[in-house]
Amino acid sequence: MAKEVELDCMGEACPVPLIKTEKKLEELDAGDMLIVQVDHSCAMKNVPEWARKQGHNVEIEEVDDGEWEIFIEKV
Amino acid sequence: MKAMFDKLKQNVLYKKWFKDALPYITGAVLLSVFQVVTFVTSGNPWGVSGVFANWGAWLYELVGGSVDNMYYFSSPGAQATLDAGILAHAGTWRNFGIIIGALFASLMASGFKFKKIKSVKQVVAAVIGGLLMGYGARIAFGCNIGALFSGISSLSVSGWLYAVFIFIGAIVGSKLLKKFFM
Amino acid sequence: MAEQTTTQTSTGSLRERSSRASGRKRKKRRNQIPLGILLFVIIVGVGIWLTLSNPAGNTALFWIIGIAFGFILQRSRFCFTASMRDPALTGSTSVTKAVLIAFAITSIAFTAIKFGAYSNGLAIPGQSYVAPVSVATGVGAFMFGIGMVIAGGCASGTLMRVGEGFWMQLISLFFFVVGSLLGAASFGWWERTFIVGAPRIFLPELFGGTDGVGNDGLAWIGGLVANLLIIAIIYVIAHKWGNRKSKNELEH
Repeated sequence: MAKEVELDCMGEACPVPLIKTEKKLEELDAGDMLIVQVDHSCAMKNVPEWARKQGHNVEIEEVDDGEWEIFIEKV
Repeated sequence: MKAMFDKLKQNVLYKKWFKDALPYITGAVLLSVFQVVTFVTSGNPWGVSGVFANWGAWLYELVGGSVDNMYYFSSPGAQATLDAGILAHAGTWRNFGIIIGALFASLMASGFKFKKIKSVKQVVAAVIGGLLMGYGARIAFGCNIGALFSGISSLSVSGWLYAVFIFIGAIVGSKLLKKFFM
Repeated sequence: MAEQTTTQTSTGSLRERSSRASGRKRKKRRNQIPLGILLFVIIVGVGIWLTLSNPAGNTALFWIIGIAFGFILQRSRFCFTASMRDPALTGSTSVTKAVLIAFAITSIAFTAIKFGAYSNGLAIPGQSYVAPVSVATGVGAFMFGIGMVIAGGCASGTLMRVGEGFWMQLISLFFFVVGSLLGAASFGWWERTFIVGAPRIFLPELFGGTDGVGNDGLAWIGGLVANLLIIAIIYVIAHKWGNRKSKNELEH
């Protein structure tokens, strides 16, 4: 059964969201979905970029002013 | 009125110019353009950290100190700049401009948010990091902009020396970050 | 380019399959564009005030240029810190390569402008940025490198993030100022110990000098080409590094 995991990275400084995302994704299985919550403009660019480079499916949604949720489906 | 602004958010040009993040390369080209504008109009490339030394001097004077004994501020030009005060200081206005320009960009993208301190670690990191940057920039004749970006672009060997050591410093900093500040 | 799709927000299939599909708690979003437009009016107002109150000075010009830099940095999420930190920390070199491109373009433009002045018998502008090559530069750059990664932003990045609302960078900025004062206070010692006598090396000088003798055009071209060559070599290395798939070696 595919898991859905939330990763709250609000208020974290660069590059903490990306490092936490990498670590968390390692723990998940293929098919699981990780939802990373960020409010850092660098992170909303470098987290998806990294995840796509690793081959995962990625989407971003802006949920509020300056807040984003990054959906990463592990492949 | 509100409906008009909400509709604007859907506009294609609005998205392109104000909303979607620009590719890094576009940023690189635009920054280069304005480096050249700076160079041609003021006779010098872009610099950021030199301004902070003056801010430090004015702050120090505000609390009763004096920088007049410091070799760094001893030249006639430096003394004249200090005497003229912060509001007459062009570099200060450029740095203020960077802050406000970034604020403007955030607001136009409807993406501004106050990001409060999350932990004591962040405060410690900001203090140590700030001190290291300030001190390092003074003795190295500049920061990532004045010594690195402008230095290399000015065909100065010092720029490359700076590049080697700032890079090594960044690697060390990354290890420290992971070990102590995450 | 992969980058272009990176930041397009969407309500796509991943979101539909997640818990968010049920449209869970939606904060009421304010539209900040009116505030942005108001700020623009203020920016113009400040520019006019500076022009009128200081007609002989550069303050209005620098203000506008600063606004441009801040706008560009924020819009492109340009981060010099990331350009140096990411290759080691995450294996990504996309920012590194962009920074190198900025160096290349600016080098060409600056050199052309400098050569233009020189060949017209004028003083070469911007030469004060050709700094001494000394131990002080190495030590200072090393300190700066550590500081910028720990603080989560370099000089320009710190200013940008203050404008974006990060309280952490406000603290960082304050201590950057304090550190600068300390550096200025001890600068005399560094000057006497390491900087005095250290050469300021302008690349064209390594290729035949800029003292009005014959092959000067070649010296300038040589200097520029050397600079671009170094940039190109680093770019290729960065490109290859960024393409590495396996990252296990990097983090442990």
